[in-house]
Amino acid sequence: MLPNPLAIIAEITHRCPLHCVYCSNPLQMAGANSELSTEIWLQVFREAGELGVLHLHLTGGEPLARADLGELIAGAHSANLYTNLITSGIGLSESRLAALVDAGLDHIQLSFQDSREDAANWIAGARAHAHKVELARAIRKHRVAFTVNLVVHRQNLDHLEQMISFIEQLQPDRMEIAHAQYYGWALQNRAALIPTREQLDKALTIVAVAETRLAGKIRIDSVVPDYYARYPKACMGGWGRRLMLIDPPGNALPCHAAGVIPGLEFDNVRDQSLGWIWRESAAFRRFRGEEWMPEPCRSCERRTEDFGGCRCQAFLLTGDAMATDPACSLAPAHRIVEAAVLEANLGERTSRKPEIPEPVSASSLRQLQQQTAGFWSYRMNPE
Amino acid sequence: MPRPVDASQPRLAAGCRWGGGDEGKMILFPEGAIRVQGTGRKILERCDGQNTFREIVQELQAHYTASEPAQIRDDVATFLEQLQQKRIVDF
Repeated sequence: MLPNPLAIIAEITHRCPLHCVYCSNPLQMAGANSELSTEIWLQVFREAGELGVLHLHLTGGEPLARADLGELIAGAHSANLYTNLITSGIGLSESRLAALVDAGLDHIQLSFQDSREDAANWIAGARAHAHKVELARAIRKHRVAFTVNLVVHRQNLDHLEQMISFIEQLQPDRMEIAHAQYYGWALQNRAALIPTREQLDKALTIVAVAETRLAGKIRIDSVVPDYYARYPKACMGGWGRRLMLIDPPGNALPCHAAGVIPGLEFDNVRDQSLGWIWRESAAFRRFRGEEWMPEPCRSCERRTEDFGGCRCQAFLLTGDAMATDPACSLAPAHRIVEAAVLEANLGERTSRKPEIPEPVSASSLRQLQQQTAGFWSYRMNPE
Repeated sequence: MPRPVDASQPRLAAGCRWGGGDEGKMILFPEGAIRVQGTGRKILERCDGQNTFREIVQELQAHYTASEPAQIRDDVATFLEQLQQKRIVDF
């Protein structure tokens, strides 16, 4: 039997004051006049609650760009959804924050951008940072979970230690250090974003040291780039298995990049119920299960763990959405990823590699899994 | 590494709460959920910021009479410590 979706990612708007070079939004964005109305979103949240969905992630664009955000959060809360706001915090006043928390917001994820070319500006970018420090202080006054998200890449990785110390001062419960993934704008800008192996190794050590130092205070989740992994990531926890994304005009997608795959038709929440879309929508059924899999996935024992990797990445890199994710070392098209990695490391000293400890979060997660049944998490790292 | 002491009053951390129906009760937290069953559920249901660690342990010791009391205490402490590191429980 098909399990319920566990989370809905609601891209409530594509409007955003920022222009990040690694933005995962489609290159063709939806304008404000095509956005779903408040009423339709509230209906979607009710249906999600009835369907057994647990989490709602409000994202964008910048979700604060919608004046009805408080109403949306209140509606999601009364539909029994755990609500998470993913925001840059730009334009969030203390009074609006208080109103969102009162409406039932459970978790706020404040993200840090590095939209400038010069990484040193990240540290010196005083005005935006002063606002975030103030905002973080305001967030801490409320009983709401607080995560700081940092996207790292070639241009800012060398400052990782300073960035971690800066985030520490904000006293979040969680810190997410996510390497940019190469979709949308980030794929266009991949050469400027992909780290060298040396940068990556150093970053892993820095994160492991910080994890130990901050244990019990700040939990660190790190997402490593799949280009450097042996096996692909279990993208979205498997196609149509756990997550459903709804874009600003109401199209339901199995993942936010799915629009790039030719021939997929997305059903819209204006026309169909969420339950129908989850069960019947052709786009969700397209890569569900194992029927579609080519070799080497079809007979691979890892197929139930990574589900053949990411369909969108397979298409973007090979032109074939059914191909094994080229990030996988077993993929026939792995040379594409190898070439990008090689290019990223040209001219770098790559002869000696320090021994890198396994990221601590992975092992502690396993311990917890042994103690508790049915644990699931969004962060599925490639190995 | 903080470990609960007798007077600790564990509770769910900010932004962590119960969810799911009665059959599939779970703890929701920012990046996922845990379906807790059996002893784990028993412990967490008592983590209300009022009960002390000592009281929770005593209750379990009274219930699981076949197990070594010191072992029960140690297991509960480890369980809470791990959830504290995940920022799911505070004490």
